[in-house]
Amino acid sequence: MVNTLAPEPTGRAEHGARPVAPAVAVRDRRGRRQTVVAYLFLAPVLLFFTVFLALPLGFALLLSMSRWTGFDLGGIEPVGPRNFTALFAAGSTFLAPVLTNTLLFALGTVVLALAGSLLVATCIDRLRFQGVWRTLYFLPMVTTVVAVGNVWKYMYEPGGLVNGVLNALGAGSVAFLADPATALPSVVVVQAWASLGSAILVLTAGLKAVPGTYYEAAALDGAGPVTVFLKITLPLLRPSLLFVCVTQFLTGLQSFALIIVMTRGGPGDATDVAALEMYRQAFSYGDWGTASAAAFVLFLVVLAVTLAQLWFFGRKGEDA
Amino acid sequence: MRGSRRGTGPSRRHLALALPAALLASGCAAPHRGSGRPGDPVVLTLLSHYASGELKEALRGPVDEWNATHDRVKVATTAVEFSDLLTTVMVRQAAGQGADILHPYCLWNGQLVRAGVLRPAPPEHAEEIRRGYGRAAVGAASVDGTVYGYPTEVQTYALYYNKRLLRAAGVDGPPRTWRELEDTAYRTTRRDRYGNTLVQGFGLSTYDDSTTVGQTLALLNAAGGTFVSADGRGTDIDSPAGRAVFGLEHRLVAEGASDPGVNVYRAFASGRVAMVVSAGWWSGTLRTLMGRDYRDVGVAPVPVPRAGDRRATLCTGFMLGVNTASRHPREAWEFLRWLNTGRVTVKGGAATRMSALQVSVGSLTGRADDMRTLLGAGGSGRDPNLRPFLDALGYAVPEPNVPGAQRAKSLLRTNIEAMWTGQQSVDQALRTIRRQVDQEVSRAW
Repeated sequence: MVNTLAPEPTGRAEHGARPVAPAVAVRDRRGRRQTVVAYLFLAPVLLFFTVFLALPLGFALLLSMSRWTGFDLGGIEPVGPRNFTALFAAGSTFLAPVLTNTLLFALGTVVLALAGSLLVATCIDRLRFQGVWRTLYFLPMVTTVVAVGNVWKYMYEPGGLVNGVLNALGAGSVAFLADPATALPSVVVVQAWASLGSAILVLTAGLKAVPGTYYEAAALDGAGPVTVFLKITLPLLRPSLLFVCVTQFLTGLQSFALIIVMTRGGPGDATDVAALEMYRQAFSYGDWGTASAAAFVLFLVVLAVTLAQLWFFGRKGEDA
Repeated sequence: MRGSRRGTGPSRRHLALALPAALLASGCAAPHRGSGRPGDPVVLTLLSHYASGELKEALRGPVDEWNATHDRVKVATTAVEFSDLLTTVMVRQAAGQGADILHPYCLWNGQLVRAGVLRPAPPEHAEEIRRGYGRAAVGAASVDGTVYGYPTEVQTYALYYNKRLLRAAGVDGPPRTWRELEDTAYRTTRRDRYGNTLVQGFGLSTYDDSTTVGQTLALLNAAGGTFVSADGRGTDIDSPAGRAVFGLEHRLVAEGASDPGVNVYRAFASGRVAMVVSAGWWSGTLRTLMGRDYRDVGVAPVPVPRAGDRRATLCTGFMLGVNTASRHPREAWEFLRWLNTGRVTVKGGAATRMSALQVSVGSLTGRADDMRTLLGAGGSGRDPNLRPFLDALGYAVPEPNVPGAQRAKSLLRTNIEAMWTGQQSVDQALRTIRRQVDQEVSRAW
């Protein structure tokens, strides 16, 4: 088998007699052949992305500027940017509360999951049987969202476990999911709890990658545990933190299943988020144009937030 | 040992033969739509929300009868919960997997017709439908004057009450006016020292769009109001009647007689709610859930604001229609005619299969003659609690089914919940609903 990607053999110049122009032509021909072969190797992946990413993206862009009820392709009716303007028109609920709830949900999830996983990962790093602890914390990740949502829903109910504990401590009951003020934070807690496992895995791997010599040097200098954590552990964990932050934010912005199981967007629209609204517009109301426009707006928000995170961590000297 | 195993157990050869045979058999048994070739029966698929309990069993009866008596056309049913029905219809249609026969909520008809999902009824069927059903039922199964299917269940709303809880609070009978309703609600409410609700006086459901909105619209109709204006171009929710209903619900929540955070449909069945406004379908569910305790359940007309006011309530319905994507529309309509117009002998006379089915699960149909036969002229039917729902057919207001009706209903629900939970005042909620619903209904679809 010929290695077409191998570098060209050197030393041709030694023969000297061969003209320059044909040598260039041969090199060009080989270069072209290498390019063709490279594209052939890439073809399956490119085909996959074309079929499952580029085509749907193009179709969604077309729909976002059309009116379509979802079944007959001949019924697509161009309407220009009207779907986008309707999303942000006065009285529309998309910007507030839908998009606001989405951002708050994602932000709350990231903050809670990041803080919780950092704490737990640091503790696990100092414990024996680390595999067991990691497995325990990872269990929610392998549990179906519907089960997690329903269990927490029952725990939050007026006669549920959480209120039972509050009552036992002498406090009154809280209508966690029925009160608009507490519904969104209550769901955020569940989402953060459910995503703790993957964050802990990444952070414990990051902690293992921190060279022990830094800690030895810090110990020799008499640094305390807080100083060690702030000056050594945290800065060296930054790539892992960036990964957790970006992935958790993306998951939070696209969250759908947990919300529909626990609150269906209620009470009122206190927990309505963009993905749920898109689902309703498309599959309940048959308004694929509005759903696609909302999807594009969410895509831009996700892109902007991700770029902002990469810039923030990049500014601190980390390669994303 | 070895020898005995060889003698009695299955050999590898047996297994090798049995496995493909089993796979073949299971493949043959799997549901298929049929090719229509001679000797191969057509299999019609029917998607409904009769997914569990009495409803599932009730539909199985006539479908099994059809399959046993018809060789060329068979019917296979698929069912999902009502809350998932619309999305299932839409998703399956988008995926090219739409059922031949659909059983939509009439509220969705405008949307489904606009999307090209429903096939108009052939003239002979349309004529039969117009002739055999009440005006409200035919109207609900029609869009712009075109009939799209056979009306099946018709639901009217009434007041369910727990006789035992009312007696314990010293209340003799169900309330007839809103003042009596509020008084009864406050007297029956009980809470523990932590604020947990032990008994709700009047249950307000947040379960889904239909239950949340249905009870509010029933009270609105009882107060003489309507959700959609007479010309169908906007909402009339902010009329004095609408303001009165929202005010009533707001007071009940603020005074602690209603706790929207509790699942009313579970709580009433377990004796923790004194009164609920709901549709007639619930009777069948309650009978199953409550067993002997069902004798504590009473049903009365929806209370009116003042004594002497004219009665009114909400009327909703379903219909059976044929998918435009069906490859066997003629067979599908034939099955629907058999199911909805073919008469069977029942106790006290004859009625259509569909009417018998609906009454067996505590629902009604739009066929007044069938209802009189099945429930008995003197109200001596199977369940006396059905009588108020039957009476309500005479004065109920049908639910509008314009395109965008489901969206309008969802907007109404969102704002009702926002008002119940204190996110919005009564005035704010009414203003927001008017703005949002007017915008939705006026969209040029």
